[in-house]
Amino acid sequence: MKRIGTMLVVALLVWAVLGACKPAEKKAAAAKEETIKIGHTVALTGPSATWGQSEANALKMAIEKINAGGGVLGKKLEVIAYDNRADRVEAVNVAKRLIEQDKVVAIIGPAQSGVTNAIREVNNSAKVPVIATTATNPKVTVKDDGSVVPFTFRVCFIDPFQGTVAAQFALKDLKAKTAAVLYDVGDDYSQFLAKYFVEAFTKGGGKITANEAFRSGELDFRAQLGKIKTGKPDVLFLPTMQKEAALAAKQARDLGITATFLGGDGWASPDLIDLAGPAMEGAYFVNIAALEDPAIQDFIKEYKERFKEDPVLPNPLMAYDAALWLADALKRAGSTDGEKLKAALENTKDLPVLTGKLTIDPATHNPLNKPATIQQVKVKDKKFIYVKTFVTTD
Amino acid sequence: MFIQTIITGLSIGSVYALMAVGYSLVFSVLNFSNFAHGAIITLGAYIAWALMVHYLQVPFFPALLLSMGGAGILAFLNERIAYSTLRRRRAPSLYLMISAMGVAISLQNLLYATIGAKLYALPPVFAMDVVHIGELTISKMDIFAFVFSALTIAVLHQILIRTKVGVAIRAAAHDMEMVSVLGVNLDVLVGVLFFIAGSLGGMAGVFMGVKYMVYPSMGWITNKAYIGAVIGGLGSLPGAIVGGLLLGLLEALVSVSSLGGTSLSTYRDVFSFGILVILLIFKPTGFFGRHVEDKL
Repeated sequence: MKRIGTMLVVALLVWAVLGACKPAEKKAAAAKEETIKIGHTVALTGPSATWGQSEANALKMAIEKINAGGGVLGKKLEVIAYDNRADRVEAVNVAKRLIEQDKVVAIIGPAQSGVTNAIREVNNSAKVPVIATTATNPKVTVKDDGSVVPFTFRVCFIDPFQGTVAAQFALKDLKAKTAAVLYDVGDDYSQFLAKYFVEAFTKGGGKITANEAFRSGELDFRAQLGKIKTGKPDVLFLPTMQKEAALAAKQARDLGITATFLGGDGWASPDLIDLAGPAMEGAYFVNIAALEDPAIQDFIKEYKERFKEDPVLPNPLMAYDAALWLADALKRAGSTDGEKLKAALENTKDLPVLTGKLTIDPATHNPLNKPATIQQVKVKDKKFIYVKTFVTTD
Repeated sequence: MFIQTIITGLSIGSVYALMAVGYSLVFSVLNFSNFAHGAIITLGAYIAWALMVHYLQVPFFPALLLSMGGAGILAFLNERIAYSTLRRRRAPSLYLMISAMGVAISLQNLLYATIGAKLYALPPVFAMDVVHIGELTISKMDIFAFVFSALTIAVLHQILIRTKVGVAIRAAAHDMEMVSVLGVNLDVLVGVLFFIAGSLGGMAGVFMGVKYMVYPSMGWITNKAYIGAVIGGLGSLPGAIVGGLLLGLLEALVSVSSLGGTSLSTYRDVFSFGILVILLIFKPTGFFGRHVEDKL
């Protein structure tokens, strides 16, 4: 009796799988004729989902706009998005699925440096260009030996730049003489920002009083902060995501640390203020763009009308820029061939995008001359205000 | 500086201890590691968030008690749905543990899918967060959490010693078969056990939510609590408390130490997990553990 039951179940499953396959295949075949497929690898769940979901929304808007303007090469663009949970293993699976199964011509995302590095072998051996949205680690596009990773690009600026901006801003605008750093040792992003902050701050004549670290997932930094407190730094650089920054800020103020807090674009989530409360008042961070930036007001308005909330910057802007960049490169390449598309992406000059003009350095695949935005946390008004656009000096 | 570090260590350790008690209670009777405990703790924190922030503005104390009750009921349901059949079938405890891992992962995924990945802060309980004693600062929430946890564990201890249910639980920890033969309803007993463990987990979740924040993967920290329970001796109540506190102290001390100019704070987990490995080599039963053999 039991065996018959099992057989029935198996038979049902086989029938379901076979039956379901046919219409799906037909649909895919029909779609292939009409559209150019672009992959989107994005964290729709997990700790990075706040940005990921906003990024997916913005990409949808950008692609619709490009399609409304006639598409590219006489075809419409189609986005195929999969959730990578900002997880390296998951991202490799997603990249393989996009390239082997969906046959995409290029991939937008991932947003994290470590995740982009994880899929490097997959997309480069298949010659499918990847445009990382907010992967700011230098090694994403440049190998250890200094040569460029042929099929990996990015639309954001790199870590050294953010760390350098924060350090020079602290020295010049905040007149800081001493600084302490608390970073996440389990995270490439955090480590690189810390490294370049320390280098630029020391180079500019400042003194690092403490350079402490914690491991990803920790919630309590009071032990390290206690040590930082003894050095009485003018600024405390917290190159982490908003969660750790909020916890560290609260715990630092509880311990009586009076330093001005500084951070990178990982802070740029509205819940930073809810999570940290008054502890974050007056803190500064480096960002790619600000909601108040006059250049992006139309985009924000459109986004708000459509999704009933503010975009969680900067990921949506970067995805939007990446889509414009990719569409332009496809047009110039005149083909979806990987090599031709790569050459077109590399040779982008003064392309008008949402955040300004995009010029790509063919030697590093990084954008050139990206000005950085400095924002300040205003807890009472529950918002980040635009302070200035900061341009670094050598 | 040193005393401040000790205070920090005790504060971290008391959270570990509270969570470790939940692991040990279940282990003492059912002889398996209930890895779903982390998910129950997380859900306890979310109940408090729903009560205090999202739907109502329930004050802290009632919210704490309701969250404890809610988490207790969830732990009870968890046992009824996922473990009771396995238990009655006398499945090896390994299967129960795997089932628990399944519950933990699915509950976390469920939170991501329904409430989302957003981080939430619970409102601060005290207007002024810290007490200053000279150079030292102590968080009021830490003091409260410490005292309240200690009281609750003391009450639990009295229940275990003085009440019929407590005696039955302790007897079952020695020999479940025999207790059942003597007429104790095992289903009720295990239900009570899970309710208690769940309530303690809910309490830990609320404290964590107030001290740190509420998010779907916050149950991760229970890995540390579990190590605390193992250090103290799985299945032992005092062991769980001592183990949790010791681990917190060790972590805080390692974080501020340096060796030859390199700060050891990045090596925190090397120490806490390393000590577990070493301890298991020399004292596999932990400090207060009784037995190591698989009972089933």
